[in-house]
Amino acid sequence: MTILRVARIACLIAIVLFLLTFPLFASQFLVVQIGIQSLFLGIVALSLIFLAGYGGMVSLAQMTLYGASGYLLAILTVTYNLPWFVGVIAGLLFSTLLAAIFALISVRSQGIYFIMITLAEAMLVFYYADQDRIFTNGHTGINGVQAPTVGSLVLTDPTTFYYMTLLIAALVYLGLRYLVRSPFGLALQGIRDNAQRMQSLGFYVYAHRVAAFTLAGLIAGIAGILGTWYDGAISPGSIDLTRTINILVIAVLGGLSYFEGAFIGATFFVVVTTYASSFTDRFNTLIGLALLAVALFFPDGLVGLSRKTVQLITRTTVWRGRVPIPLSSHKPVPAPGNSRTVASDSVAEDEQFMIVSVKPEEEEKQP
Amino acid sequence: MSEFITVTLNGLTLGGLYFLVASGFTLVFGLMRVVNLAHGSLYLLGGYIGWSIGNATGNWVLAVILAPLGVAVVGVILQQALLRRIQGQDLREALVTIGVSIVVADLLLAQYGGQNYEYTLPDIINGPVNLGIANLTYPAYRVFILGIALVIGIGLWFLLRRTRLGMIIRAGIDDRDMVSAMGINVQMVFAIVFGLGALLAGLAGVIGGSNLSVRPGDDGLYLLYSLIVVIIGGMGSVGGAALGALLVGLVSQYGLAYIPTYSILITFALMIVVLAVRPQGLLGRRV
Repeated sequence: MTILRVARIACLIAIVLFLLTFPLFASQFLVVQIGIQSLFLGIVALSLIFLAGYGGMVSLAQMTLYGASGYLLAILTVTYNLPWFVGVIAGLLFSTLLAAIFALISVRSQGIYFIMITLAEAMLVFYYADQDRIFTNGHTGINGVQAPTVGSLVLTDPTTFYYMTLLIAALVYLGLRYLVRSPFGLALQGIRDNAQRMQSLGFYVYAHRVAAFTLAGLIAGIAGILGTWYDGAISPGSIDLTRTINILVIAVLGGLSYFEGAFIGATFFVVVTTYASSFTDRFNTLIGLALLAVALFFPDGLVGLSRKTVQLITRTTVWRGRVPIPLSSHKPVPAPGNSRTVASDSVAEDEQFMIVSVKPEEEEKQP
Repeated sequence: MSEFITVTLNGLTLGGLYFLVASGFTLVFGLMRVVNLAHGSLYLLGGYIGWSIGNATGNWVLAVILAPLGVAVVGVILQQALLRRIQGQDLREALVTIGVSIVVADLLLAQYGGQNYEYTLPDIINGPVNLGIANLTYPAYRVFILGIALVIGIGLWFLLRRTRLGMIIRAGIDDRDMVSAMGINVQMVFAIVFGLGALLAGLAGVIGGSNLSVRPGDDGLYLLYSLIVVIIGGMGSVGGAALGALLVGLVSQYGLAYIPTYSILITFALMIVVLAVRPQGLLGRRV
């Protein structure tokens, strides 16, 4: 146990040191292409993981909320020449507001219905941005968005921008970790596991879901500001179906129930797309196959895979007393009439989607 | 007035096309609870295969018949090889179909490139036709789309209401476990229904591709319309898909004609209103 603890702390220190000193030894290409991109894509994925892992809501609208703040920032600072902080504040408010509206529309539905409705919302906003000529400038989008200079901080400088993105990513990560341990976060997890019971305990389920979705919208909006500064432009192509799904791929690769997974998945994704595109045009096929492999064989993503490996190596009983529950909205019941018998131990392994410390009751049966 | 009639006809024919795409989507969802996010890719696959067949043989009718069958085979393989392993876990099923759609879209892009492909239509449905109302002429092919949507709609109604297979499917939508307990091979029914859904997507691909053209990006577009149609009409209901397709087709065309820049927002508003009043969709049952 103690050895494990020491190892964990050592790992943590090593990771923090690595992230802090990354621009000192890495080339500018690595910092800009891999470092910054992984960080702001990770923040978007973080907002999805918060919703999916802790609220049971797999939202496909996170990239759209990213686009909402990005677009407003671009419109205000480029089209209307307003100062940067006006654009940032208005952009964040806008993505939060849009998230609240999306939430009011969609949180009454759950599970797969929720995915469908948020996907429809995302695609509708994409086609709107593509059609509209007055605000979003149609297919071309808005170019020439520049990160500002604040006092002596020149944010157009890659290293400075890297540290700012790192700081914001760390704050969002720590903030969310704090939040899920707060009464609100615990209630949210209760609602994820059994909404009916939470309702009868006096919790306002609907309001909790709306609040969580709105907060996730703000987080995606923060990433939208960073990403738009990074790209220097925003267009419908920044929020299209591919980008929308990329965020889901990142979150699933990392592991839908661990916050760390957001950044691990994002780094993996950015590295693969950056380097694979230099030796093959078919890197999207690679991404698709990676998603298939994770969905079929490692439902817990890279983080889950590494945890399982650690468990296997140490053979400790760290997880004793904790019951794994599946991430899917209802339990994987062996299908009726399935001629193939599934070995019970492989089912148990498949069910280790998420580790929680409470024993879930029977899920509501779908009619 | 004649503009209004033309726009209405556009809406109706587009609704017919949306119905073709969405009927397969809703059928699969109704019975198997699988949200097939690769449905748009199956549409696109049908469009490309159909174009290749038409281009090679010069026979459009052959393309309409063979391409959907090819897509149905792909659909059955997808269901048997990938989805059957993870049956009942809806998130994983959605992820797998997304993975498939990424791979299919990328491979089709590699094979066919980024340009548009246009079909050569047989003379009989190519060119305008006089409708006899207000002296209007209208593309004959669009009337044909409406006709084929009607035929498919009636065919599905007949299949679901008047045949033994339809009876099993309807019973399966209500209670899968019970159907299986009655000694029916549910897995076989699943494979058939998924194949049928893919067939309809492939057919829509050829029909829709012949209307305008086949090009990359159509997969996302028709997936979106399938989603909106079944969200509005009610998930799993074929009648709901028809009603939803008609509404979406008409509303989007009126929007495009009278407020072009914001037409998509009208469709969005339609979806919001329906979800606010009936979260389960117009003809859907409570879930």
